[in-house]
Amino acid sequence: MSDALESGAPSFLDQFPDEAKLVRATLWSAFIALILGGLFGIIQTLHRTDILRVMDSSYYYTVLTAHGVLMVVSFTIFFLVGVFTWAVVRSLDRPLVDIRYSWTWYGLMVVGTLMAVVAVLGGFVDSTEMSADVLFTFYAPLQAHPLFYGGLAIFLIGSWLAGVDWFRAWYAWKREHPDERIPLQTFMALTTMLMWYIASIGIAIAVVVFLLPWSLGLFDEVNALLTRTLFWFWGHPVVYFWLMPAYMLWYTVLPKLAGGRLFSDPLARVVFVLFLLLSTPVGIHHQYVDPGIAEGFKFIAMTNTMFLLLPSLLTAFTVVASMEYGARRRGGTGLFGWLRALPWARPAFTGMALAGLMFAAGGFSGMINAGMNINYLVHNTLWVPGHFHLTVGTAVALTFMAATYWLWPQLTNKPLFSRPIGLLQVVMWFVGMALMSNAMHVSGLFGVPRRTAEPEYQGFDFTPAFGTMNEFDMQIAIGGTLLFISLGLFIGNVVLTSFGTKQSSLGEDLPPALSGPSDSPVVLDNLKLWVGIALVLVVLAYSLPLASIISRGGLFGPGVGTYPMIVDTFSALIESVAHAGITETLAQFEVGVIVQ
Amino acid sequence: MSTETAKKEIDHEDFDPKGTLALILLYFVILAILWIFMYFIEFLGNDLTVIG
Repeated sequence: MSDALESGAPSFLDQFPDEAKLVRATLWSAFIALILGGLFGIIQTLHRTDILRVMDSSYYYTVLTAHGVLMVVSFTIFFLVGVFTWAVVRSLDRPLVDIRYSWTWYGLMVVGTLMAVVAVLGGFVDSTEMSADVLFTFYAPLQAHPLFYGGLAIFLIGSWLAGVDWFRAWYAWKREHPDERIPLQTFMALTTMLMWYIASIGIAIAVVVFLLPWSLGLFDEVNALLTRTLFWFWGHPVVYFWLMPAYMLWYTVLPKLAGGRLFSDPLARVVFVLFLLLSTPVGIHHQYVDPGIAEGFKFIAMTNTMFLLLPSLLTAFTVVASMEYGARRRGGTGLFGWLRALPWARPAFTGMALAGLMFAAGGFSGMINAGMNINYLVHNTLWVPGHFHLTVGTAVALTFMAATYWLWPQLTNKPLFSRPIGLLQVVMWFVGMALMSNAMHVSGLFGVPRRTAEPEYQGFDFTPAFGTMNEFDMQIAIGGTLLFISLGLFIGNVVLTSFGTKQSSLGEDLPPALSGPSDSPVVLDNLKLWVGIALVLVVLAYSLPLASIISRGGLFGPGVGTYPMIVDTFSALIESVAHAGITETLAQFEVGVIVQ
Repeated sequence: MSTETAKKEIDHEDFDPKGTLALILLYFVILAILWIFMYFIEFLGNDLTVIG
């Protein structure tokens, strides 16, 4: 019998049926994106490692774009809006102000996703000219169909309106509770959305002002470095946008699952404020090898990035201390012996704990990425996808799946179909990712490039210091396959749960923190102050680099033509010198250009 | 199976997260070892990389 049945509390569905329906819809959208993204993931894994090739390599970038966009835009953000809606409504203990408005932002996000995905999938259909093989980063001069950029813009607007919805709920609550601190989960959702509003300025300008009109043919060229810099203005904070709902679950749900309660409410607030301040003025650390940005600006971005380690390490302390508190309440003893007292049989707990463990490993590879000098060793290699499969691919995705096992019964009034399958699923994800990500990191150290269907190129051997390239490929293929099976088990478990019979009293309360909000300074809840400081930091980090990029290249130049022209030029060159004995060199160069 | 059973109350003042401290120290030791490992693999294991 599950704990939930014993707790006897009314569920979220019982208390807020309209909001529960909305949250279920957002989570279903996330899961559909996860299924499709996973399918494209296994196709590219087996293709790249040359185990099974079901398509021509010319479709690789279509598959890669679909995998990236579906996983890190659709899956993560649909889950985010669902879990934040749940968290805001639950912690304020009041419904949203107008549920029709809420369905509107959800509808916009669905429409935006469909537009972008249709444009990407158009790349598989030879009879249409529609395609968006531009990868998740959509760097110019790679050009997508206007539908792709339009879809992104609409999706973004939907996410902004979702944030407005939670602010409206908070304002309504504040009128009834004028002297109270913002409930922790609402505080987390609001600070995250403020970070999102600041960060999305970059992507909104890049897409609406430059890339969409450019793809519509309104002008011939864009300043590639400018749109790229605007992308990363958003592209780094978006990783915290994925992470913040996972952090929220680690702070508020995981301690309960461990049998205890959150160690410190004030520390949790400090962490979210630090992410609001520091997430955005760091994006240039993704551009260490970009010519056209002075080293000094890159150094500032690196320094800001290293400060971001602070909230992550604070989180490691607070979350682990909360787990230890739960374990000691359950009778755990000793310096490490308390770990045995944790509820490892619960998939929701085990999944989140393993996700946190993987995040610690991702922290290490992230520090390598963030270092200006050592970044050159791993830049554009398979190390980088190895890193973000630990962070967004496990810390975020595995936490979301584990949290679903806990949350889904409260949204449906149906108990989880199978805990053992859930446990198997989260452990399988952990093992699969350990194999795949480890091999990706190691391969990257030996210079194996990312973003290519043919990593071996031609007439070239990578020489690892230990092991063989075949071993690494097998690790990647086996790991990827385990991940795909795990994903299937997850979806199956959720679907079968949905077919179950309804029960009552499946609700679960979240206990208050050991050190409550009254222990924290009131200034932490001054959102206007933190937004002001965050904006100042963004201006300091970005005004000079952006001014320099624009003054040198102009807003719309220097142009380099669009993606098909580059490929055609090099293809023609290759053909013309086909018998001159330098074909391989040029072919490698061409792949290199596309990867860049 | 229940996870809600056999729980004792521990006051805020009585809880000293020594196990957490030990785990975090262990993480820092692992980080330091990995940095040293990187040095051997990347700098001593490879020849110089010439670009251009």
